[in-house]
Amino acid sequence: MTFDAAGYQLLPVLPELMLTVGGMVLLMIGAYGGPKTTGVVTGLAICLLVATGAAELLLPAGRLVTFGGSFIVDDYARFLKVLALIGSTATLILSRQFLADPSSKIFEYAILVVLASVGMMVLISAGDLIMIYLGLELMSLALYVVAAINRDDAKSNEAGLKYFVLGALSSGLLLYGASLIYGFTGTVNFAGIAAAAQEGNIGLIFGLVFLLAGLCFKVSAVPFHMWTPDVYEGAPTPVTAFFASAPKVAGLAVFTRVVLTAFPSVLGQWQQIVVFVAIASMLLGSFAAIGQKNIKRLMAYSAIGHIGFALVGLAAGTVEGAQGVLVYISIYVAMTLGAFSVILAMKRNGFAVEQISDFSGLSRTNPQLAFFFAMLLFSLAGIPPLAGFFAKFYVFVAAVKAGLFTLAIIGVVASVIGAYYYLTIVKVMYFDEPKPAVDPVRFELRAVLAVAGLFNMLFFVYPAPLVSAATVAAKSLF
Amino acid sequence: MSTVGIGHFLSVAAILFTIGTLGIFLNRKNVIVILMSIELMLLAVNINLVAFSAFLHDIVGQVFALLVLTVAAAEAAIGLAVLVVYFRNRGSIAVKDINLMKG
Amino acid sequence: MIQAIVFLPLIGALLAAAIALFGAHARNPSGDTVEHDAAHGHGHAATGHAAPTGGDAAVIHAAHDEPDAHDDHGHDHPVEPPAAGSRAAELITTGLLLVSAGLSWLALVDVGFMHHDVRIPLLPWINSGDLQVAWTLRVDTLTAVMLVVVNTVSSLVHLYSIGYMNDDPHRPRFFAYLSLFTFAMLMLVTADNLVQMFFGWEGVGLASYLLIGFWYQKPEANAAAIKAFVVNRVGDFGFLLGIFAIFMLVGSIDFETIFAAAPGLTGKTINFFGWHADALTLTCLFLFMGAMGKSAQFLLHTWLPDAMEGPTPVSALIHAATMVTAGVFMVARLSPLFELAPDAQNVVIFFGATTAFFAATIGLVQNDIKRIVAYSTCSQLGYMFVAMGTGAYSVGMFHLFTHAFFKALLFLGSGSVIHAMHHEQDIRHMGGLKDKIPFTYIVMVIGTLALTGFPLTAGYFSKDAIIEAAFASHHTMAFYGFLMTVIAAGLTSFYSWRLIFKTFHGTPHDQKHYEAAHESPYWMLIPLVVLAAGSILAGFPFKEVFAGHGVGEFFRESLKMNPHIIDEMHHIPVAVAYLPTAMMALGFVVSWMFYIRKPYLPVELANQHQLLYKFLLNKWYFDELYDLIFVRPAKRIGRFLWKAGDGTIIDGLGPDGVSARVLDITRGAVRLQTGYLYHYAFAMLVGVAGLITWFMLGGGGR
Repeated sequence: MTFDAAGYQLLPVLPELMLTVGGMVLLMIGAYGGPKTTGVVTGLAICLLVATGAAELLLPAGRLVTFGGSFIVDDYARFLKVLALIGSTATLILSRQFLADPSSKIFEYAILVVLASVGMMVLISAGDLIMIYLGLELMSLALYVVAAINRDDAKSNEAGLKYFVLGALSSGLLLYGASLIYGFTGTVNFAGIAAAAQEGNIGLIFGLVFLLAGLCFKVSAVPFHMWTPDVYEGAPTPVTAFFASAPKVAGLAVFTRVVLTAFPSVLGQWQQIVVFVAIASMLLGSFAAIGQKNIKRLMAYSAIGHIGFALVGLAAGTVEGAQGVLVYISIYVAMTLGAFSVILAMKRNGFAVEQISDFSGLSRTNPQLAFFFAMLLFSLAGIPPLAGFFAKFYVFVAAVKAGLFTLAIIGVVASVIGAYYYLTIVKVMYFDEPKPAVDPVRFELRAVLAVAGLFNMLFFVYPAPLVSAATVAAKSLF
Repeated sequence: MSTVGIGHFLSVAAILFTIGTLGIFLNRKNVIVILMSIELMLLAVNINLVAFSAFLHDIVGQVFALLVLTVAAAEAAIGLAVLVVYFRNRGSIAVKDINLMKG
Repeated sequence: MIQAIVFLPLIGALLAAAIALFGAHARNPSGDTVEHDAAHGHGHAATGHAAPTGGDAAVIHAAHDEPDAHDDHGHDHPVEPPAAGSRAAELITTGLLLVSAGLSWLALVDVGFMHHDVRIPLLPWINSGDLQVAWTLRVDTLTAVMLVVVNTVSSLVHLYSIGYMNDDPHRPRFFAYLSLFTFAMLMLVTADNLVQMFFGWEGVGLASYLLIGFWYQKPEANAAAIKAFVVNRVGDFGFLLGIFAIFMLVGSIDFETIFAAAPGLTGKTINFFGWHADALTLTCLFLFMGAMGKSAQFLLHTWLPDAMEGPTPVSALIHAATMVTAGVFMVARLSPLFELAPDAQNVVIFFGATTAFFAATIGLVQNDIKRIVAYSTCSQLGYMFVAMGTGAYSVGMFHLFTHAFFKALLFLGSGSVIHAMHHEQDIRHMGGLKDKIPFTYIVMVIGTLALTGFPLTAGYFSKDAIIEAAFASHHTMAFYGFLMTVIAAGLTSFYSWRLIFKTFHGTPHDQKHYEAAHESPYWMLIPLVVLAAGSILAGFPFKEVFAGHGVGEFFRESLKMNPHIIDEMHHIPVAVAYLPTAMMALGFVVSWMFYIRKPYLPVELANQHQLLYKFLLNKWYFDELYDLIFVRPAKRIGRFLWKAGDGTIIDGLGPDGVSARVLDITRGAVRLQTGYLYHYAFAMLVGVAGLITWFMLGGGGR
């Protein structure tokens, strides 16, 4: 193996380098400036994320490959990186309220989010199994810490611990799968695997199962979802918002890229896994959410269900399916960020309230908040003409076109069951006796809520930009 | 019979991996044991990778194994850090006590 | 002209409805508006302004800074503010009806005597395959007679209601309903096909329902309205089946086509639940079932007495003179069919005669003044059906015609009595009223004479003609019909005079009401005069054209008479001809004995024949019987279907069951989430192991 200078350009990784170096600089600022720099560091981190996103879009068009094929920048990667960066940026914006609290002046928080974002970007661009592992760990190690960022809160610690233990287990599973795949195909590169893999190789299938188990954990698909409700509940709410958005994008991105580019020849096998996981996620998400009283926990089950729906598109294994997944995850990020900005806004006398019953009569004490939340919930439930309906529509159409009728039907049934708990919250907000008014909502929360809410409500007016970008991105995988 | 083939390596790795996984969910006492089990699993993976690397005459597997070792160290550091914080708050690291949230 | 006759009442109804709606709207928002109005009213009275000087009134309103001038009649009754525009609604509807009535008489002359039958196509209605239905007004003599009856009685009842409903705050609504009813009835009688007739049929049913329940604050009124509607539904079901059968047999529901095809249908059969029934007989029986419901014949009569819960003018118009005769009219209209189905005619005679007798027996012991008249109506309708059954359709129509006058008179007279007695209806609480309300007394006696068939009154000609027709007919049931109608004639006489004697003679039983009794206003007395005149004069001048040799020329094609019946009617023994009159006299004498001469007799008789008395007093226990046979089982079935069918099965397996199962699953799913790390890890490994096993066992190998 000779060193090929052409195969090791740095240009495609420029945004990641920017983000990494920037993160280090911020760390220095924080380390030398102390907790009082929290606001500055967070602000700079937001700027840094935005700049990275811009840099990503300014890269030369087309498919850029570097490090011997282990790092790929194509339209797919650009689309999802921008989406993940939007998620991270929005999370940092939403976190300003949390970080303004004197008891949690944690400048490391923003740096950890930046580092996790680097991990996500690497993950999204990963072109071989090693890169997947490195990106995944870079992301996860940062996330383990942010989950436990509230050091004095037992719940936050427990969330971090649970996430860490199970995350490490999932990493082990993924690695074991990666090692088997390497052994049975002789390469870690996706293109090489795709060329070497043939049907009937049981070792390869074993490897695939383990690998997908690890990836399912990251996107919290059943039965690898068990961490999700506890971590969502225990972690500080801005962290939960983060967990629910950007890492899901990265996880789903790598999931999709791996199965579509590395294993097209064993489509029949991975399709079965994805179908099973999708059905289990949709049903469990819908059923278990009904029993919840804590809104964050409910959002966790909601996330599980939504990942199930997104995987329905993936199960199709077609361009349309991949496009459906991309549209779905984009709209899901918007919906979930909007929903979490409402949850973050729910404070009474300075204390966050997170029980569903705390929403009672919100329509009378804060009609705007209630209206936007209701719209987001309708959208999450998939009611036309809101964006959530189109998200489901694309994946179900893809599944039906691929002949997966059972899957589509179960999906529709699950979304009907799922509508129940979303509508329950709407009912609580609009028909129950009002509780005391919530505190005034901070500007940045209102801004995020307005953007997310309007996107949801007005998506049907002009869906073309998102849909066509998703189509281009999906095509670059095939 | 007397030669040690790839199958033997894989079997050892598989057994180690299984012991590691069993250690995670059969152990109800101490989180540290879980961390050790995870290390066991990663080592099983490394055996796999190196064995395959040798078998395939391909260096990538060994590079992968080195990266796994490195990252595992970082992971263990972070895990222990979280564990320390947890212990400070709860005064226990018994696995069955990690049960504030459920349902 | 015909269009005017038919649609003027509709215009009136719509205008009155509009006034009622606006009145309701205007009344709600402000009680003080009414007060202002009243104050203005006094001001107007002082300045001597009358209603016609609307312009001046508006000027004064404007001067008083009162831009929204309300109806000036609002202040006529300051005690209970009536709906705005009440008087306007009354005058509009009544005026239009009077015009319509006048035109109807012209139409009768034009059609009946000048032989100008008309058919006026209005619009196409239903156009579906073979089914072609058009709105067409068909006016022949039969229709013209009905037009006269309906519009005359209706206009008089409108007029009467102005006085009778004087203190009711909802008069615009009342007059809207009355006019709506009249329109529907006119649609019924001018129908050119069965569907149009059914439209009118249901329209009058609706109006009847609305008017019986007009005082919707009274639970009995609502119950009676529902009962009338439901019992009529039974009949309507038969009517519909009849229409279907005709459409099946003929392929059309146009009268002309049906009548032309009817002779060809004799001998055809319909397979009806495996029974090869004679097609015409079965069809006629179905149609007659509809007639029975509408005309309150035996078995379907129970709604009529209860319908007396409605205002008395309604009883007079709908439940005596017009709507209840719709069944009779329908049979007459379809006479070309009935003439070809002698079996069906026998059934008609049987039910008619039974009703005539049965209702009369109940009338003997009733104490509510309106119910007595209601049972009398029922009985008289039976007479009409006997005539229809014998094929003497014109004779039945004759009785319908005369009966409309004297029965409306009796009802309106009763209404006058009730009005005088402040809504007391029990004749046991009356007595001696002839001195207090002599005018009402006189007209009531005239009505009674006509009803009982006192010589030379209207009823005398028509009723005797029916009895003669029944005697002369050769139908199997004819003699039964004759017997029953003769006996009923005696009973009629008895209960009618009983009513007169107990109400107007003897000593007052309720001194307070008696003292307060007063004669009704002119609004009410004028219609009474007109109807009294009709009760006396409607018989003789029309005798020839309805029951004599002028029938053929008068009715021509509109009725298909039994060809021999008129001749045979004139050749019956003299003794038979005098029999009804004798029965009438006997009834009068017995009644006089019972209630004037020896008032203790009826009490003793009732005590001696306790069982019979109770039987009659409880109306042959029909309500109880129906309750037992139909209502309670229906409720039981309903409860069963509700509890077991809907509640347990549909809800249990459907909404409730599904949601309960969802919650079960939810509980299970939530319980899986134990919070223990080792369970979570275990779940993950089970997932991996499951998938591995699936692929190892070859499940995924494809």
